[in-house]
Amino acid sequence: MALESLLKQLAAVALCGPAEAGATATSHAARGSDAEVTVAPGRVVEAVQLLDAAGFMVEAITGVDWLAEQQMEVVYDFTLVATGERVVVRTRVPRAQPEVPTISRIYPGADWHEREAHDFFGIVFMGHPNLHPLLLPEDADFHPLRKDFGA
Amino acid sequence: MENQTEVPRGIIHFAVLNEALNLARANSLWPMTFGLACCAIEMMATGASRFDMARFGCEVFRPSPRQSDLMIVSGTVNKKMAPAVVRLYDQMPEPKWVLAMGNCAISGGPFKFPGQYAVVEGVDKLIPVDVYVPGCPPRPEALIEGVLKLEEKLTGKRRWPVVKPA
Amino acid sequence: MSTTAQSLHEEMFVLNLGPQHPATHGVLRIKLMMDGEYIADAESVIGYGHRMQEKMGENRTYAKFLPNTGRMDYVAAMFNTHGYVCAVEKLAGLRVPERAEYIRVITAELNRVASHLLWLGAFLIDLGGFTPLLYTFDDREQILDLLEGLTGTRLTYCYYRFGGVCNDVDDAFLAGSRQFVARMRARMPMYHALITKNIIFRKRCEEIGPITAEQCRKYGATGPVIRGSGVAYDVRKAEPYGAYPQLDFNVPVYPQGDCLARYMVRLDEIVESLRLVEQALDRLPGGPVMAEKVPRLLKPPKGDCYFNVESARGSFGVRLFSDGTDKAYRLKLRSPCFSNLSLFRECSRGMLLADALALLGSLDLIIPDIDR
Repeated sequence: MALESLLKQLAAVALCGPAEAGATATSHAARGSDAEVTVAPGRVVEAVQLLDAAGFMVEAITGVDWLAEQQMEVVYDFTLVATGERVVVRTRVPRAQPEVPTISRIYPGADWHEREAHDFFGIVFMGHPNLHPLLLPEDADFHPLRKDFGA
Repeated sequence: MENQTEVPRGIIHFAVLNEALNLARANSLWPMTFGLACCAIEMMATGASRFDMARFGCEVFRPSPRQSDLMIVSGTVNKKMAPAVVRLYDQMPEPKWVLAMGNCAISGGPFKFPGQYAVVEGVDKLIPVDVYVPGCPPRPEALIEGVLKLEEKLTGKRRWPVVKPA
Repeated sequence: MSTTAQSLHEEMFVLNLGPQHPATHGVLRIKLMMDGEYIADAESVIGYGHRMQEKMGENRTYAKFLPNTGRMDYVAAMFNTHGYVCAVEKLAGLRVPERAEYIRVITAELNRVASHLLWLGAFLIDLGGFTPLLYTFDDREQILDLLEGLTGTRLTYCYYRFGGVCNDVDDAFLAGSRQFVARMRARMPMYHALITKNIIFRKRCEEIGPITAEQCRKYGATGPVIRGSGVAYDVRKAEPYGAYPQLDFNVPVYPQGDCLARYMVRLDEIVESLRLVEQALDRLPGGPVMAEKVPRLLKPPKGDCYFNVESARGSFGVRLFSDGTDKAYRLKLRSPCFSNLSLFRECSRGMLLADALALLGSLDLIIPDIDR
């Protein structure tokens, strides 16, 4: 029940169009999550605030480099520990200027996840207090998980 | 004429005393606790009671490099970690030896492939290595065999029986 | 006297802990701003064990990446392989036979016991007590012998395959597991007498390093860390997988949130894991251990999915993106220790350095799991 009302709230924030799915319930057995929502980068913070109010925990933040579509995707995984429900928030940014607002003010744990995504892809999380390399050496200026990275 | 920074060698030869010193060094190799990755667990197991490296003189694992004479590089050496490895090696007083434990320390191990940006492929690219112990991870018996090989290198002869497979 | 007090110039100093330090469990560096013996700020610097596992996941076929999974969290290697294999099976639509699911439970729970035993020995060494390490490693060697006979390796297992497990268990393994369960049960009172009732251990751990449930939620901490703070979140119960729905076990939870609570959670988990192993041995069905018609070169259909398992350290997750080829397009490995360590900065403020090391030890970190 709580998930349905949350989905309605998320639907108000979500992107709906031919390419985006909006806010939909998904099969946990097939996808590993109970709901997925695609948002515009500027509305990520709103969506995450809804999840924080509902008591979700941030589990992972994944960056993906879609070279063919010249976009980068950021996938946020959230878990509700009381029930084991999962909600996934997705957003896409242009590859030439990948900027997403930070959620580290809502979830301090996202601080390190975002630093890692920045390390690997160069995605800039606007408003992040400390976007220095986390896993790479301090003076690293390359982003290794980009698809056009050739060592 | 002579370079002031060079330490002159061989002024005093100890002969038999040298052999005795080498025997003493071989029998009391103090390893430094330098576990980097998976091989560190097997190194801990070698120091525990079943395999017991203390029988062969590696009684105390010193955390400080200044008090140890054997550096067992157990695990992958990373480009970020490389300066720390070299600094620790420099901090060890002479005479010192290095044992490269595991495939990662020998050649990069399972992480060696074209396009690898993070791993130093073999610790011998940074510091001189005396004994290589292959394995991923090597069994504790293999690590002990590596220490015995080092003792053979120090004293010139092998003082322990060689284990033959059954 | 007032002039001496004025002429005393106090300032904070920076103390570097690691990356080579006996208590950092690997190559972790912590930059400590110290106010005397108290920590004003503790910034963790990681990346000294980074081996680009995620990049290798994109450059290797699905099967060739399997050995990498054992090297991430090497102490509890079965869980990493389990998470990866199940994520690929989910995308590829493979059904694992029941015998293989039960064997996976037996090996995973034995690995959990081995991991907790290693943690126990290392934790006590951090606190300064060397003796328990020898006992825990002795018990751990029994498990390692069993798993070595089954999988061929002592530490970094690569036993699960897509669609099942690599080879079937034999009678020696089954009998040995039963003997081990009985022996370990009889050893638990000894551990409690040696450690739990030790006054020095109690003083070092009781009410030290408190972590609240809200902090766990904000930082994403899972596993014994969140269960030691009163929240009963266990992936095996919340999102059941494998043969766990058919097995009966409890999830130990302690509300205090201090180091002692996390210690008690892990010791109770050892007992629960022994129960699980025993039940799985009793109910082990016959049949194949590998699904039929698994292609040699696996090409899961396009899409992505998430799968997480309850590792010894917390919720280990794999987010897998497939583009229909034989290599993953993106493989994200969600490490439990990564999130568990991220709350160290906030929780260690104002603590004595020795207490902060007790907190660090109680988080049960494996640094190559954080660095991947």
